[in-house]
Amino acid sequence: MKTSREILFARHQSNAPKLDAIRREVVAGLNHQDTKAQSGAVNLVSWCLGGSNKLWLELIWPCRRIWSGLAAVWILIFIINFAQRDGSQDANAKSAPTAGVMMAFGEQEKLLNELLADRSLPVEADRPRNFTPKPRTETIRFLII
Amino acid sequence: MPEVADIEQLPVPQARAGEPAAWDALFRRYQLPLYVYVFELVRDEQAGLDIVQETFIAAARHIGGLRDDAKFGSWLFGIAHQKCVQRWRKRREILLDEIPETPDEFEDSPDDLLIRREQEAEFMNLLNQLPLPQRSVLLLHFVEDFSLEEISHVTESPLGTVKSRLHYAKKSLRKLLEEKK
Repeated sequence: MKTSREILFARHQSNAPKLDAIRREVVAGLNHQDTKAQSGAVNLVSWCLGGSNKLWLELIWPCRRIWSGLAAVWILIFIINFAQRDGSQDANAKSAPTAGVMMAFGEQEKLLNELLADRSLPVEADRPRNFTPKPRTETIRFLII
Repeated sequence: MPEVADIEQLPVPQARAGEPAAWDALFRRYQLPLYVYVFELVRDEQAGLDIVQETFIAAARHIGGLRDDAKFGSWLFGIAHQKCVQRWRKRREILLDEIPETPDEFEDSPDDLLIRREQEAEFMNLLNQLPLPQRSVLLLHFVEDFSLEEISHVTESPLGTVKSRLHYAKKSLRKLLEEKK
Protein backbone atom coordinates (compact mmCIF):
# COMPACT_ATOMS: atom_id res chain seq x y z
CA MET A 1 0.00 0.00 0.00
CA LYS A 2 1.21 3.51 -0.89
CA THR A 3 0.01 6.93 0.01
CA SER A 4 -1.23 9.22 -2.71
CA ARG A 5 1.82 11.40 -2.09
CA GLU A 6 4.21 8.53 -2.74
CA ILE A 7 2.39 7.63 -5.93
CA LEU A 8 2.50 11.19 -7.22
CA PHE A 9 6.18 11.62 -6.43
CA ALA A 10 7.15 8.27 -7.92
CA ARG A 11 5.29 9.16 -11.08
CA HIS A 12 7.30 12.35 -11.62
CA GLN A 13 10.66 11.24 -10.25
CA SER A 14 11.94 10.79 -13.81
CA ASN A 15 11.82 14.56 -14.27
CA ALA A 16 14.19 15.18 -11.37
CA PRO A 17 17.25 15.76 -13.65
CA LYS A 18 15.34 18.40 -15.61
CA LEU A 19 14.28 20.07 -12.40
CA ASP A 20 17.88 19.97 -11.17
CA ALA A 21 18.98 21.70 -14.36
CA ILE A 22 16.30 24.39 -13.92
CA ARG A 23 17.32 24.92 -10.30
CA ARG A 24 20.99 25.25 -11.21
CA GLU A 25 20.16 27.69 -13.98
CA VAL A 26 18.06 29.91 -11.72
CA VAL A 27 20.66 29.84 -8.92
CA ALA A 28 23.41 30.64 -11.43
CA GLY A 29 21.30 33.58 -12.53
CA LEU A 30 21.12 34.75 -8.92
CA ASN A 31 24.89 34.38 -8.61
CA HIS A 32 25.35 36.35 -11.77
CA GLN A 33 23.09 39.13 -10.52
CA ASP A 34 24.94 39.26 -7.21
CA THR A 35 28.31 39.35 -8.87
CA LYS A 36 27.08 41.92 -11.35
CA ALA A 37 25.97 44.18 -8.54
CA GLN A 38 29.17 43.76 -6.59
CA SER A 39 31.55 43.52 -9.52
CA GLY A 40 31.83 47.28 -10.01
CA ALA A 41 33.30 48.01 -6.59
CA VAL A 42 35.17 44.70 -6.25
CA ASN A 43 36.77 44.98 -9.66
CA LEU A 44 37.95 48.49 -8.92
CA VAL A 45 39.49 47.45 -5.61
CA SER A 46 41.08 44.29 -7.03
CA TRP A 47 42.39 46.20 -10.00
CA CYS A 48 43.86 48.80 -7.69
CA LEU A 49 45.47 46.19 -5.45
CA GLY A 50 46.40 43.23 -7.64
CA GLY A 51 45.95 44.33 -11.21
CA SER A 52 47.89 47.54 -10.84
CA ASN A 53 50.85 45.65 -9.38
CA LYS A 54 50.94 43.36 -12.44
CA LEU A 55 50.56 46.34 -14.73
CA TRP A 56 53.44 48.04 -12.95
CA LEU A 57 55.77 45.06 -13.23
CA GLU A 58 54.99 44.12 -16.84
CA LEU A 59 54.29 47.38 -18.58
CA ILE A 60 55.84 50.28 -16.73
CA TRP A 61 58.95 49.00 -14.93
CA PRO A 62 60.80 47.53 -17.99
CA CYS A 63 60.56 50.85 -19.88
CA ARG A 64 60.70 53.11 -16.89
CA ARG A 65 63.02 55.66 -18.56
CA ILE A 66 60.65 56.14 -21.50
CA TRP A 67 57.65 56.44 -19.19
CA SER A 68 59.42 58.90 -16.90
CA GLY A 69 60.49 60.94 -19.97
CA LEU A 70 56.92 61.00 -21.27
CA ALA A 71 55.70 61.98 -17.81
CA ALA A 72 58.23 64.83 -17.67
CA VAL A 73 57.14 66.08 -21.10
CA TRP A 74 53.51 66.02 -20.06
CA ILE A 75 54.27 67.89 -16.84
CA LEU A 76 56.18 70.49 -18.85
CA ILE A 77 53.26 70.86 -21.26
CA PHE A 78 50.88 71.35 -18.35
CA ILE A 79 53.14 73.95 -16.73
CA ILE A 80 53.47 75.90 -19.97
CA ASN A 81 49.74 75.68 -20.58
CA PHE A 82 48.92 76.98 -17.12
CA ALA A 83 51.50 79.74 -17.39
CA GLN A 84 50.05 80.89 -20.73
CA ARG A 85 46.54 80.82 -19.33
CA ASP A 86 47.56 83.00 -16.40
CA GLY A 87 49.33 85.42 -18.78
CA SER A 88 46.32 85.71 -21.07
CA GLN A 89 44.06 86.41 -18.08
CA ASP A 90 46.39 89.23 -17.00
CA ALA A 91 46.43 90.65 -20.50
CA ASN A 92 42.63 90.59 -20.60
CA ALA A 93 42.51 92.37 -17.26
CA LYS A 94 44.95 95.02 -18.52
CA SER A 95 43.05 95.63 -21.74
CA ALA A 96 39.76 96.38 -19.96
CA PRO A 97 38.34 99.77 -21.25
CA THR A 98 38.56 102.78 -18.96
CA ALA A 99 35.62 105.10 -18.05
CA GLY A 100 36.70 107.82 -20.50
CA VAL A 101 36.86 105.42 -23.41
CA MET A 102 33.42 104.10 -22.50
CA MET A 103 31.99 107.66 -22.48
CA ALA A 104 33.49 108.36 -25.90
CA PHE A 105 31.94 105.15 -27.21
CA GLY A 106 28.59 106.23 -25.74
CA GLU A 107 28.71 109.61 -27.51
CA GLN A 108 29.63 108.01 -30.80
CA GLU A 109 26.76 105.60 -30.48
CA LYS A 110 24.33 108.46 -29.76
CA LEU A 111 25.51 110.33 -32.82
CA LEU A 112 25.16 107.28 -34.98
CA ASN A 113 21.60 106.77 -33.77
CA GLU A 114 20.67 110.35 -34.66
CA LEU A 115 22.07 109.94 -38.15
CA LEU A 116 20.19 106.74 -38.68
CA ALA A 117 16.99 108.33 -37.38
CA ASP A 118 17.22 111.04 -40.11
CA ARG A 119 17.67 108.43 -42.79
CA SER A 120 14.85 106.34 -41.57
CA LEU A 121 12.30 109.10 -42.56
CA PRO A 122 10.05 108.00 -45.44
CA VAL A 123 11.27 109.19 -48.78
CA GLU A 124 8.73 110.13 -51.41
CA ALA A 125 8.74 107.49 -54.01
CA ASP A 126 9.07 108.33 -57.70
CA ARG A 127 5.77 108.70 -59.39
CA PRO A 128 5.05 106.24 -62.15
CA ARG A 129 5.64 107.73 -65.52
CA ASN A 130 2.81 107.92 -68.04
CA PHE A 131 3.82 105.69 -70.87
CA THR A 132 2.27 106.46 -74.27
CA PRO A 133 3.30 104.09 -77.00
CA LYS A 134 4.72 105.81 -80.08
CA PRO A 135 3.91 104.70 -83.63
CA ARG A 136 6.15 102.03 -84.92
CA THR A 137 7.26 101.83 -88.43
CA GLU A 138 6.33 98.58 -90.18
CA THR A 139 8.96 98.98 -92.85
CA ILE A 140 11.66 96.43 -92.80
CA ARG A 141 15.03 97.69 -93.50
CA PHE A 142 17.26 95.36 -95.35
CA LEU A 143 20.81 95.95 -95.01
CA ILE A 144 22.63 95.25 -98.14
CA ILE A 145 26.14 94.71 -97.64
CA MET B 1 11.81 10.88 -2.20
CA PRO B 2 11.59 14.21 -0.41
CA GLU B 3 9.59 14.38 2.75
CA VAL B 4 7.61 17.26 4.11
CA ALA B 5 10.36 19.00 6.05
CA ASP B 6 10.09 21.15 9.09
CA ILE B 7 9.59 24.61 7.64
CA GLU B 8 11.49 26.31 10.45
CA GLN B 9 14.68 24.55 9.37
CA LEU B 10 14.56 26.06 5.89
CA PRO B 11 17.19 28.74 5.20
CA VAL B 12 14.68 31.43 4.32
CA PRO B 13 16.45 34.29 6.16
CA GLN B 14 19.69 33.45 4.35
CA ALA B 15 17.84 33.37 1.04
CA ARG B 16 16.32 36.70 1.90
CA ALA B 17 19.86 38.00 2.46
CA GLY B 18 20.69 36.88 -1.09
CA GLU B 19 22.78 33.77 -0.44
CA PRO B 20 22.65 31.57 -3.55
CA ALA B 21 23.38 28.44 -1.49
CA ALA B 22 20.26 29.08 0.57
CA TRP B 23 18.20 29.49 -2.59
CA ASP B 24 19.65 26.28 -3.93
CA ALA B 25 18.60 24.44 -0.77
CA LEU B 26 15.10 25.89 -0.88
CA PHE B 27 14.62 25.12 -4.56
CA ARG B 28 15.98 21.61 -4.08
CA ARG B 29 13.50 21.05 -1.29
CA TYR B 30 10.48 22.25 -3.28
CA GLN B 31 11.29 21.47 -6.90
CA LEU B 32 9.61 18.06 -7.09
CA PRO B 33 6.50 18.82 -5.00
CA LEU B 34 6.03 22.01 -6.97
CA TYR B 35 6.41 20.23 -10.28
CA VAL B 36 3.99 17.49 -9.23
CA TYR B 37 1.42 20.09 -8.27
CA VAL B 38 1.86 22.17 -11.42
CA PHE B 39 1.98 19.21 -13.79
CA GLU B 40 -1.16 17.62 -12.38
CA LEU B 41 -2.95 20.91 -12.94
CA VAL B 42 -1.71 21.84 -16.40
CA ARG B 43 -1.15 18.27 -17.68
CA ASP B 44 1.77 19.32 -19.87
CA GLU B 45 5.38 18.44 -19.08
CA GLN B 46 7.05 21.40 -20.77
CA ALA B 47 4.51 23.86 -19.41
CA GLY B 48 5.02 22.36 -15.95
CA LEU B 49 8.79 22.80 -16.14
CA ASP B 50 8.39 26.34 -17.45
CA ILE B 51 6.05 27.27 -14.63
CA VAL B 52 8.43 25.81 -12.03
CA GLN B 53 11.26 27.89 -13.47
CA GLU B 54 9.13 31.04 -13.58
CA THR B 55 8.05 30.38 -10.00
CA PHE B 56 11.66 30.10 -8.81
CA ILE B 57 12.63 33.32 -10.57
CA ALA B 58 9.60 35.15 -9.21
CA ALA B 59 10.31 33.86 -5.71
CA ALA B 60 13.89 35.09 -5.81
CA ARG B 61 12.75 38.44 -7.12
CA HIS B 62 9.87 39.00 -4.71
CA ILE B 63 11.17 37.42 -1.51
CA GLY B 64 10.84 40.85 0.09
CA GLY B 65 7.07 40.43 -0.10
CA LEU B 66 7.10 37.35 2.13
CA ARG B 67 6.10 38.49 5.61
CA ASP B 68 6.41 35.24 7.53
CA ASP B 69 9.39 33.00 6.79
CA ALA B 70 7.51 29.98 8.16
CA LYS B 71 5.02 30.34 5.30
CA PHE B 72 7.62 30.13 2.56
CA GLY B 73 6.21 26.84 1.23
CA SER B 74 2.64 28.04 0.85
CA TRP B 75 3.90 31.35 -0.52
CA LEU B 76 5.92 29.49 -3.20
CA PHE B 77 2.97 27.28 -4.09
CA GLY B 78 0.83 30.40 -4.24
CA ILE B 79 3.11 31.86 -6.90
CA ALA B 80 2.97 28.61 -8.87
CA HIS B 81 -0.80 28.51 -8.52
CA GLN B 82 -1.06 32.03 -9.91
CA LYS B 83 1.08 31.02 -12.87
CA CYS B 84 -1.27 28.09 -13.52
CA VAL B 85 -4.30 30.38 -13.27
CA GLN B 86 -2.70 32.75 -15.78
CA ARG B 87 -2.18 29.81 -18.11
CA TRP B 88 -5.76 28.69 -17.70
CA ARG B 89 -6.97 32.17 -18.44
CA LYS B 90 -4.95 32.23 -21.61
CA ARG B 91 -6.44 28.91 -22.65
CA ARG B 92 -9.89 30.00 -21.44
CA GLU B 93 -10.44 26.91 -19.33
CA ILE B 94 -13.36 26.99 -16.98
CA LEU B 95 -12.46 27.28 -13.31
CA LEU B 96 -15.91 27.49 -11.85
CA ASP B 97 -16.70 25.14 -9.05
CA GLU B 98 -20.35 24.54 -8.47
CA ILE B 99 -20.04 22.74 -5.16
CA PRO B 100 -22.14 24.41 -2.48
CA GLU B 101 -20.34 25.78 0.57
CA THR B 102 -21.42 24.11 3.80
CA PRO B 103 -18.09 23.89 5.62
CA ASP B 104 -19.26 23.06 9.09
CA GLU B 105 -20.56 19.69 8.05
CA PHE B 106 -17.17 18.32 7.08
CA GLU B 107 -14.87 16.38 9.31
CA ASP B 108 -12.13 14.98 7.12
CA SER B 109 -9.82 12.47 8.66
CA PRO B 110 -6.20 13.71 8.70
CA ASP B 111 -4.77 10.44 7.33
CA ASP B 112 -4.06 10.19 3.65
CA LEU B 113 -5.75 7.84 1.27
CA LEU B 114 -4.00 4.50 1.11
CA ILE B 115 -3.89 3.05 -2.34
CA ARG B 116 -3.00 -0.46 -3.37
CA ARG B 117 -0.41 -1.04 -6.04
CA GLU B 118 -2.91 -2.26 -8.61
CA GLN B 119 -4.99 0.87 -8.00
CA GLU B 120 -2.19 3.37 -8.62
CA ALA B 121 -2.91 3.92 -12.29
CA GLU B 122 -6.58 4.12 -11.52
CA PHE B 123 -5.93 6.67 -8.80
CA MET B 124 -4.08 8.94 -11.21
CA ASN B 125 -6.83 8.55 -13.75
CA LEU B 126 -9.46 9.44 -11.18
CA LEU B 127 -7.46 12.38 -9.96
CA ASN B 128 -7.40 13.78 -13.47
CA GLN B 129 -11.14 13.43 -13.74
CA LEU B 130 -11.72 15.78 -10.83
CA PRO B 131 -12.61 19.41 -11.63
CA LEU B 132 -9.60 21.72 -11.53
CA PRO B 133 -10.43 23.52 -8.25
CA GLN B 134 -10.96 20.20 -6.44
CA ARG B 135 -7.83 18.72 -7.97
CA SER B 136 -5.82 21.76 -6.93
CA VAL B 137 -6.95 21.55 -3.31
CA LEU B 138 -6.46 17.80 -3.15
CA LEU B 139 -2.96 18.00 -4.63
CA LEU B 140 -1.90 20.64 -2.14
CA HIS B 141 -3.20 18.40 0.59
CA PHE B 142 -1.46 15.30 -0.77
CA VAL B 143 1.82 16.78 -1.94
CA GLU B 144 2.72 19.14 0.90
CA ASP B 145 0.14 18.27 3.53
CA PHE B 146 -0.79 21.93 3.75
CA SER B 147 -3.35 22.97 6.32
CA LEU B 148 -6.71 24.28 5.16
CA GLU B 149 -5.59 27.83 5.97
CA GLU B 150 -2.46 27.38 3.88
CA ILE B 151 -4.45 25.92 0.98
CA SER B 152 -6.82 28.84 1.29
CA HIS B 153 -3.82 31.18 1.07
CA VAL B 154 -2.34 29.37 -1.94
CA THR B 155 -5.54 29.22 -3.95
CA GLU B 156 -6.78 32.61 -2.72
CA SER B 157 -10.13 31.03 -1.89
CA PRO B 158 -12.21 31.37 1.26
CA LEU B 159 -11.61 28.76 3.94
CA GLY B 160 -15.12 27.38 3.61
CA THR B 161 -14.68 26.85 -0.11
CA VAL B 162 -11.41 25.00 0.47
CA LYS B 163 -13.04 22.77 3.06
CA SER B 164 -15.91 21.88 0.79
CA ARG B 165 -13.66 21.27 -2.20
CA LEU B 166 -11.37 19.02 -0.22
CA HIS B 167 -14.27 17.13 1.26
CA TYR B 168 -15.95 16.50 -2.06
CA ALA B 169 -12.69 15.63 -3.79
CA LYS B 170 -11.79 13.03 -1.17
CA LYS B 171 -15.29 11.67 -1.14
CA SER B 172 -15.31 11.33 -4.92
CA LEU B 173 -11.94 9.61 -4.93
CA ARG B 174 -12.87 7.18 -2.17
CA LYS B 175 -16.12 6.35 -3.84
CA LEU B 176 -14.47 5.76 -7.19
CA LEU B 177 -11.72 3.65 -5.66
CA GLU B 178 -14.22 1.54 -3.75
CA GLU B 179 -16.23 1.02 -6.89
CA LYS B 180 -13.12 -0.25 -8.68
CA LYS B 181 -12.28 -2.81 -5.99
